[in-house]
Amino acid sequence: MIIAKPKPIEEIIELVKDLKSVLVAGCDGCVTVCEAGGMKEAQVLASALRMYFRQQGKDARVDETSLTRQCDRPYIAQLDDQIEKYDAVVSLACGAGVQFLAERFSKKPIFPGVNTCFIGVTEQKGEWTERCQACGDCILATTGGICPIARCSKRMANGPCGGSSSGKCEISKETACGWHLIYERLKELGQLDRFERPNDPKNWATSRDGGPRKIIKEVSQV
Amino acid sequence: MANTNNDQKKGAVLVVGAGVAGMQASLDLASSGYLVHLLDKSPTIGGIMSQLDKTFPTNDCAMCIISPKLVEVGRHLNIDIHPNTEVASIEGEAGNFAVTVQTQPRYIDLAACTACGQCRQVCPATAVNEFNQALDLREATYMRYPQAIPRGFTIDREVCIGCGLCEKVCLAEAIHYDDQARQKVLEVGSVILAPGNEVFDPSRFDTYNYLNFPNVVTSLEFERILSASGPYRGHLMRPYDREEPHKIAWLQCVGSRNINACDNSYCSAVCCMYAIKEAVIAKEHAHADLDTAIFYMDMRTYGKEFEQYYNRAKEHGVRFIRSRVHSIEPAGECDLRLSYTNEKGEQKEEVFDMVVLSVGFEVGQGTIELAERLGVELNEHHFAVTDGFMPVATSRPGIYVCGTLQAPKDIPQSVMEASGAAAGTSAMLSEMRWTETRTRELPPERDVSEEPPRIGVFVCNCGINIGGIVDVPAVREYARTLPNVVHVEDNLFTCSQDTQVRMAEVIKEKGINRMVVAACTPLTHEALFRETLLEAGINKYLFDMANIRNQDSWVHMNDKQKATDKAKDLVRMSVARAGLLKELHEKKVEIKQSGLVIGGGVAGMNAALNLARQGFQAVLVEKDKELGGLARRVSHTIENLDVQTYLDRLITQVKSDDNVTVLTEAEVVGFKGYKGNFTTTVQHGPDKTEQTVEHGVAIVATGAHEYQPKEFMYGESDRVMTQLELDKLLHERTNGSDPATWSNVVMIQCVGSRNEENPNCSRICCQSAVKHALQLKELNPEMNIYILYRDMRMYGLLEDYYTEARKKGIIFSRFELDNPPVVNRNGEGVEVTFHDHVLQRPVKVPVDAVVLSAATLANETDRLATHLKVPRNAYGFFIEAHAKLRPVDFSSEGIYLCGTAHSPKLISESITQALAAASRAGTFLAGKTLSVGGAVAHVDKTHCAACLVCVMSCPYGVPRINEENVSEINEALCQGCGVCVSECPAKTIQLSHYEDDQVLENVHALLEGVM
Amino acid sequence: MRLNYPTNIKIVKLPCSGRVDILHLMKAMEEGADGVFVAGCLEGDCHYQAGNLRAKKRVAYVKEILDKIGVGGERVAMYNLSAGQGPRFAEIAREMTEKIKALGPSPIRIAKRKAAGRPTTEEAA
Repeated sequence: MIIAKPKPIEEIIELVKDLKSVLVAGCDGCVTVCEAGGMKEAQVLASALRMYFRQQGKDARVDETSLTRQCDRPYIAQLDDQIEKYDAVVSLACGAGVQFLAERFSKKPIFPGVNTCFIGVTEQKGEWTERCQACGDCILATTGGICPIARCSKRMANGPCGGSSSGKCEISKETACGWHLIYERLKELGQLDRFERPNDPKNWATSRDGGPRKIIKEVSQV
Repeated sequence: MANTNNDQKKGAVLVVGAGVAGMQASLDLASSGYLVHLLDKSPTIGGIMSQLDKTFPTNDCAMCIISPKLVEVGRHLNIDIHPNTEVASIEGEAGNFAVTVQTQPRYIDLAACTACGQCRQVCPATAVNEFNQALDLREATYMRYPQAIPRGFTIDREVCIGCGLCEKVCLAEAIHYDDQARQKVLEVGSVILAPGNEVFDPSRFDTYNYLNFPNVVTSLEFERILSASGPYRGHLMRPYDREEPHKIAWLQCVGSRNINACDNSYCSAVCCMYAIKEAVIAKEHAHADLDTAIFYMDMRTYGKEFEQYYNRAKEHGVRFIRSRVHSIEPAGECDLRLSYTNEKGEQKEEVFDMVVLSVGFEVGQGTIELAERLGVELNEHHFAVTDGFMPVATSRPGIYVCGTLQAPKDIPQSVMEASGAAAGTSAMLSEMRWTETRTRELPPERDVSEEPPRIGVFVCNCGINIGGIVDVPAVREYARTLPNVVHVEDNLFTCSQDTQVRMAEVIKEKGINRMVVAACTPLTHEALFRETLLEAGINKYLFDMANIRNQDSWVHMNDKQKATDKAKDLVRMSVARAGLLKELHEKKVEIKQSGLVIGGGVAGMNAALNLARQGFQAVLVEKDKELGGLARRVSHTIENLDVQTYLDRLITQVKSDDNVTVLTEAEVVGFKGYKGNFTTTVQHGPDKTEQTVEHGVAIVATGAHEYQPKEFMYGESDRVMTQLELDKLLHERTNGSDPATWSNVVMIQCVGSRNEENPNCSRICCQSAVKHALQLKELNPEMNIYILYRDMRMYGLLEDYYTEARKKGIIFSRFELDNPPVVNRNGEGVEVTFHDHVLQRPVKVPVDAVVLSAATLANETDRLATHLKVPRNAYGFFIEAHAKLRPVDFSSEGIYLCGTAHSPKLISESITQALAAASRAGTFLAGKTLSVGGAVAHVDKTHCAACLVCVMSCPYGVPRINEENVSEINEALCQGCGVCVSECPAKTIQLSHYEDDQVLENVHALLEGVM
Repeated sequence: MRLNYPTNIKIVKLPCSGRVDILHLMKAMEEGADGVFVAGCLEGDCHYQAGNLRAKKRVAYVKEILDKIGVGGERVAMYNLSAGQGPRFAEIAREMTEKIKALGPSPIRIAKRKAAGRPTTEEAA
C-alpha cells in the first residue's frame, strides 16, 4: 500500500490561515490503513484547525469527511455539491488523491495534508517500511523476492557494493544492505549461482525516466 | 408435624440471624440454588453493621455499602425473610431438619404496609430509640432505620397506648392490634447460625460512671453520634449539652481482656480499629481542632493494611497513650477527668469533654439459650465450639456457624465465614440444588428504539449525605428544565425498596424510557437501579447515574452553593447522555462447570475439595512436588491440634476425590478466555508437560512464606532462628539441639514487619511466639523465656493463651521501633540486650536461643498476576474487590482468592477463606449460564478498511478479519475496554454504551454550562 | 474518604483510560474546557492490560498538537492512580486546578466568550 504520514500541523495552518472555510477530506484507502489520513485523522485535524481559528478570533468553518477512495472519480464526485461551501480542501489522501481532487475542482485550492512517502508494508502497529519504487519492470524473480531498486540505497542491479558491512548499508547502521538480504535469501533458496549471471542493466524507461506513465488494459476498456 | 421422608435431603437452608454474616450466607446459598429462610428476631435485617457510621480501613459509609445488600436480600426470589422470629425447637438431622420457629406479632401486616409512615406521624407514644442507642426517642409505631428491609412499620406494644390513631389513618388497613404470635415448621437441610453478638454493657461496674455521666458514651453510641442518620444528624455533639467537644478520649478494652472483675477475658478483636476510625472521623466532623486520645494496652491493628491505617491516624494527630485508665471522675459541670499512669510510671491527669468506652463483644443470653435449644455446644466464653480445621461447623452435624458467635471478629472476617458456612452447606446438599427454588418472570421489555427520549430524573437526598450539602429541590427543579425530561422527583433514599417499587410504577405510568438517578456511585448502586428498570419493562442500559454524592456533596461540603451548581452540571451531563443511550441485548453462554485452583497449600486444597464436593470439577495446580505449602512446616496449632495429621488426611482426600485433578511441579504459563470460559495452559511434572485446562472459575491460593531475616545476627549463629525453624526443632527434638535443654530463650517480635520496608503487621507471629513459648515451658518449666514485643496482638480468643503465658512466668517486655533489642556474640553463645520498661534500664541476657518472629511475606506471583490480570498491593498480596464486603472476590468476575495470598493469617482463617472462595466460585458456577454482550465493541463494516489496527491493538486478541474481509468482534470475548474503538483509523468501531456521541454529548453538556 | 477537592473538577466516566480517544480530548478542549486530565490505573495495573499506556501516548500526542496551535499542551495531562488512592485523586484534582488556574482560562474559551459577547475575565473553571 501507499504509505503516508501527516504533515506537521503548522505547515497546514500556514496554508489555510487566511481562509474562512476549509474541508478536511480523508480517504478510506491506503492512508486509513497506515493511520495517516482516514476519518480519524480528518477529525483530529479538523478539530485542531477549528481550535486554531477560534483562538485567532476567527469564525472560520472547518468540516471533515472521508471518501471511499480519492483516486476514483465517482467517490470524489461525492464532494460536487459541497465543494462550493469551502474556500479550500485539505486532502489527507496520497498525492494521487490530492491531484485528482485538484483536477476535478479546478477553481478550488486543494492542499495536501499528508506527505506521501512510499509503497510499503506494516512491520508492526505504528511502523511501516518501504518495499517498492514502482519502476515498471519487476526483477524480483531474479533477486530472491527482494527488490534492489527499493532496498539498495544505490538501486544497483548487481550488488552488493563496497559499502556493505556486516549486512548493513554504509548510509546508516540502521539500514540493512539490500544486496546482503538478497544474498542470504538466494542462499536459502539454493540459488547462489545467480550471482554468476549478472542482471542486465535496468531499462529505466518504464520508470519515471520515461516521463509520466500511463497504463492501458485494452481488454478492460469499455 | 407431618411425616417426612427422612431419606430425602432438603434443598432449603435456615439462616438464623440477618446481620452482615447471615445476609452473605443467604445470598450465596440462594444464588447457588437453595431456598433460604432468613430469620431475625428484630423487625428488620442488617444487624449491628447497619448501626455503624463508617467502616475501617476504607472509611466507607457502612449504610452505603450494606444497603445494596439489604435490597438484594429483600429482592431475592429465593430468600424468605422471617422478621421478629426465633427458633423454638429443632428435630431431625443433617440433611433433613424440621425447625419450629416462632414469630412474634408485629401488629402491622407487612404484606399490606406501604411504609408510607402515616402511622408514625400520628403516633402519640414515644419510646427509647434502641437503634440510636437510646440517644433519642422514637414513636411506638416505628421503623428501625430508613433503609430497613423488610419495608414496613412495627408497633412496639410495650409502649403503645392502644389509642387507635394509627389504625384510623392507615389506608392500607395494615394495622392489626390483635396480631398473635405464630409458629411454623420449616423443613431444611441445614442450619447456619449467625445471630451475632451484643456489645458489652459498661453499666455493670461503676468505675467508668457510665450511667452517671452523660458524656461517657459507648463506642456504639459514638457511631450513632457520628452517623448522618443518627440522633444528631451527623453533627459531632456530646450528649450533655449538645456542644461540640474539643477533646475526646477513648478507653480501650472495656469489657474485654479482664481489666475489671466483670470483664470478659478474651480480646474483642475489633475495638482498636474502630477506635482509631472513630477518632479520625470525629476529627473530620469537627469544626474546630479536635484533640483525640486513645488509651490502650496493645494496639491490635493486625488485619490487612490496618497498620498503615494506624500510622496514618498518628499522622492525623490522634494521640495514642499506652495506659490503663481505671476510673473516670467528674470535672466541673460535665467534663471528665482521667487519671492514669504513663509508661514511665508517672501519674498523669487530663480533662476531656467526652469519653468513649470501647466496649467489646459478648454472646447474648438469648443466643446462649438458642444454642441450648439447638443442641450446639458453646465454649467457656459462650462462643460456638468449632474445630480449628473446620471452623464453620458446630458440634452438631448439619449446623454451621459464622460471624461473631464463632468468635469476636470484624466484618470481612464475618463475611468470609458466612460464605464459608454456605460452602459447607452447599457441599452437603449439592444434589438438592435448584429443587426448591423459584424463578423470576420479568415483564417483557418494551421496544423503545423508535420512541423519542422520555427521561425521568430521580434526585437522591441520601439522608443528609447529599441533601445536607446540595440543594436537592433546586437540582430537581433544574432537571425539569432540561430537554427530554418528562418526570422529576427527589427521594430521601432512592435506593430504599419502597422507592424502587414506586419508581418502577412511575416509569410505567409516565412512559419513561430513559432513567437518570442523581445519587451516589454506580459502583455500588447501578445494578440496583438497572433492575428497577427491568421491573418496569425497560432495557437496563437506558440508564445513567449522576454521582452527586461521592463526586460532589462528600468532597465539596465546604461550599454548598458550588456543590449545588456542580450537581446541576452533573445532572445536565447525565440527561444529555441518557438521551443518546441505546437498548442493548445480552445473550446467554454456558459456564464451564469447573474451577482451577492455583496453589496446593491448606487454602488451595480446601477450596478444591469443597468445589469438588459441591459437584464441580477442580484442577489443583501446585508449584512444588508435594501438596501442603507452608503448613508443612507447622507441627501444631496454638490449640495443640496436630497440623501434620490433618494435612495428611487432607492430601489423601484431595488426591482420592474423583472431581479433583492434582498437577504438581506445575506453573500457569498461559491464561485466556473470560469468566465462565477460561483456558489455562499449565506446565507440570519434571518434564514440564504442557496441558490445557478449560474452566469456569479460578481461585488464587498462592500462599506466603516466612521472611528470611537480615537482622539480629540471623545466619551468623545457629542459635538465632525463626519461629518456623524453632517449630522444626521442637518437633524433631534431636540430641544436641533439643530445646528442652535450653535455659534462656529470647523471642523478638515484628522482625521484618511494622517497619519502614514492610509496614504491615504479619498477624500470626504473636501467637507463634506464645505458642512456642508455652511449648517450651511444657518441656522445661524452669526455662526463662522473654518475648520482646511492640504490641502483643493476641486478638480474639487467642488472648487466653497470652494470659496463660504470663501466668506461667513467660516474661513479656516491650520495645520501641527506634530502640530495638541488640543481639551480640558472647564467646560461643549469644546474648541479647534490651531496654526493660519496668526497670527503666537496659538488661543483658545470655541466651541459648534467639527466636525471631519473622514476617509473613507474599509469595512471588509476578507472572501469575500478569497472566490473570489481577491486582496486588505494594507488598505482593492480592487485592480483593472490596476490603469489607467482597473479601474473597477479585473485581474481575470469576476469579477469587484465599489464604495467605490475600494477607497473613492462621491456618483456621485460611481454611475459612478457602471455603468462602469456593462458595463464591460455586455461586457463580451454579448459575450454569452467563449473560454476555451489552457494553462491548461492535464494528460498522461499511467503513471497515480491514486495516488490522483493531486486531493489533486489542489486549485480548479478540477482533479478527472475517470471511467478508471486515473486522469482527466476538461479543462474548470482548471485555469492553474500548481500546480498539479509540484506535480505529476509520472510526468504524464503537463501544456500546460508550459510543463517541454519547461520550461527547456528556462533554458537550458539561461545557455548555461554563461557556 | 470524602477528601475535599475543588468543585471545578467534573468526571466523565469511561470503562478504561484506553477508551479515551484523542478526539475526546480534542473535542473537550475545542468546546472550551480549560484543562482535561485522564485518570488511568497505575502503569502495569491496567484492569484491561494496557489501556492506560495507550492513553498516555494519546495524551502526549494531543499535548503536541495543542502546543503547536497555541492552546498549550500543559492543559492536558495523564495521571495514574489506583482506585484505592482517594487522597491521591484529591491531590491530583487540586494540583491540576492550581496549574490550570495559573494558566488562566483556555484561549478557546476566552475567544468563544468574546465572540458571544460575554465577559472573559472570570476565573478558570
